[in-house]
Amino acid sequence: MDYHALFQVSAAGMATEKLRLDVTALNLANMHAAAPSANQVYKPQRVVTQAVNFGTQFGRLYGAATGAQAVVVQQDSAPRMVYEPGHPYANAQGMVAYPGVDHVAEMVNLNTALRAYEANVTAMNAARTMAARALDIGGQ
Amino acid sequence: MSIDPVSLSAILPAGEQLGTLAPAPLQQPASGFGALVTDGLNAVNATLVKADSEVRQVALGGGPSLHEVMIHLEEARLSFQLLAQVRNRLLDAYQEVMRMQV
Repeated sequence: MDYHALFQVSAAGMATEKLRLDVTALNLANMHAAAPSANQVYKPQRVVTQAVNFGTQFGRLYGAATGAQAVVVQQDSAPRMVYEPGHPYANAQGMVAYPGVDHVAEMVNLNTALRAYEANVTAMNAARTMAARALDIGGQ
Repeated sequence: MSIDPVSLSAILPAGEQLGTLAPAPLQQPASGFGALVTDGLNAVNATLVKADSEVRQVALGGGPSLHEVMIHLEEARLSFQLLAQVRNRLLDAYQEVMRMQV
């Protein structure tokens, strides 16, 4: 069925957005995880997606789109230093290292991933509706 | 008064065999229409069974991701609808033949 390839394209997009949501949730979960030193603090992760080569034919596009085109990389952001002298991980200056997670950016990532996932679902539903309409040809 | 039963041998010419009225045997049963329908049924059944096993895996807390399971369910539903439409067309053709005036 030729709709199978279309479904797989949408599935690849959904998998990418799901990965983005997972990574964002991981960053948010480790947002307040302090570390004994600034080197050991959690590094925020980021999903980097590689564009599928759209210049090739559709058949090759279908073949390439079935594989995951996303990789998770560590973001090299400076740790957030907070003045907490009573904290067990406080250094000589009384500063504690927290991960440099950008809360606002993570929330925006969350919403972007959600909307992109919805768009993929909508595209898949459109393909399914089109296939169902094709089956209506010649029906009573 | 006795009624003689009508026998076919009295109507038919002496040399004709009744066996010629029987449907001709299928020439190639392996690649005939029946095999085509059976293959289609098996393919649809395979997609249904696959989707069912994936639903079980997800219900048990593992297996593929949720959207893949839903997509496979949709594919199974589409293939089943295709099978149902083929069956409707075949039945329509059969009933059309049965309504034919002879």
